[in-house]
Amino acid sequence: MSQALSQSTPSRPLSRRGMERLDLMLLCTEALDFNGGEAMVWMSQQLGYGELFPNRVELWKRRCHNPLRRACRRGSLDSRETDALIRILCTMADRLYPMLRGLLSTAEPPEVMEERWQLFQSRLSDLLRERMNPRRSSVQTLLDPVSGHLQRLALVQALALGAGSGGFERLRACLMDVVA
Amino acid sequence: MKQTLVYGQQSCRLKLEGFPDVSAGHSADALGIITSWTLDWAGRPQLEGRLDHLVALINGVLPYARYLMSGVARPFGAPSEPVGIAPAGVGQHLLVLRSGQPGVGPLEVQLDDAELADLVRVLDSLRLDPRLHLQSPLSQPLVQPLRRWELRQAEPLAQRLAAPLGGLAALALTAGLSSLIPLPAPAPYRASSTAPTTAPETSAGPSPAPAAIPAALDPGNSGSLTPKAATLPNPAKPTTQPAISPARPSGPPARP
Repeated sequence: MSQALSQSTPSRPLSRRGMERLDLMLLCTEALDFNGGEAMVWMSQQLGYGELFPNRVELWKRRCHNPLRRACRRGSLDSRETDALIRILCTMADRLYPMLRGLLSTAEPPEVMEERWQLFQSRLSDLLRERMNPRRSSVQTLLDPVSGHLQRLALVQALALGAGSGGFERLRACLMDVVA
Repeated sequence: MKQTLVYGQQSCRLKLEGFPDVSAGHSADALGIITSWTLDWAGRPQLEGRLDHLVALINGVLPYARYLMSGVARPFGAPSEPVGIAPAGVGQHLLVLRSGQPGVGPLEVQLDDAELADLVRVLDSLRLDPRLHLQSPLSQPLVQPLRRWELRQAEPLAQRLAAPLGGLAALALTAGLSSLIPLPAPAPYRASSTAPTTAPETSAGPSPAPAAIPAALDPGNSGSLTPKAATLPNPAKPTTQPAISPARPSGPPARP
């Protein structure tokens, strides 16, 4: 059924905004998992994308099509590569779902929630400073502890709702939204 | 042989009960006819219903999650439908279940983001389960990108109205400033093309008979005191001075 669904979905390359969001969500999974970069390569091999991304450098080169990167690459990825990246992201989100759920749940005491978000924000900020262009306004917003909270929440929420094989279609359609 | 399929997450568990449709060639572990379903929530009352209620739950929750991922929190499920879901603040969602039995009010369940994600994962598991063979297939989730006007709903009203209101204000300001600029004086009246070309161009203002004045004011032209009657057609008006005499010979009389 999943294959049938994927065939019914329009297949086209992601827009710049979609590529930004995809790379930021991959960055969020790295903030949740210290070995996220290695896990992505391993996951791509497991999902059968070893030919597309044979090593970590190739995966990094595809992710560098994000315009927010310090070392940004021109051009756009084809739909096969973006689908592979989205599939890897969904599988990573599925693996990290307990942590994502922990960030979104309101059943925990507020102190525990605050501590979780602080940890996530500090790790994400470190990765953003290391890899993204700090002059871009969206990067500055994400780095801001107060005004960037809603954006970080939206990224985590989208990761939780797009986790697993059922979330692939939703996540791909979301990344292909027309830029408002 | 009764079949039971269970899909669980941390906060909710969905249980389907039914039978394989042997007439359709289903295997023994498949589920082709659903007789009942129950949804157990942690700390909340159990929900149960028929197949159409389950379909309504899927049709409400999955599109809601799809829009939420794009940042558009909008309600799904009309009041006439058995299931509705709507945003209820940051990170909160209100699931409304309306009973078909008379006299039973709607049941409202407040969900946070984590519980909504659990419910979505449960419904995804159900939708993608190869053991489930329903005669009426479940509706497919929204897999199309949202349109521009749908994404605009996510923007605050003030932000949406800022551009058109700014344009209108700029237009009104420009029109007001333009009305303060004085209008230029009207162009002088130009006589008809029969006026003599010797007429002075310095005369300002309209002149009723610009051709007569220069001739009358010409001091060197003694004979120019032409009969006013020629130009003033009111002979009855008395004058203190003798009227312009007809041509009086100033020289010696002519001799024959």
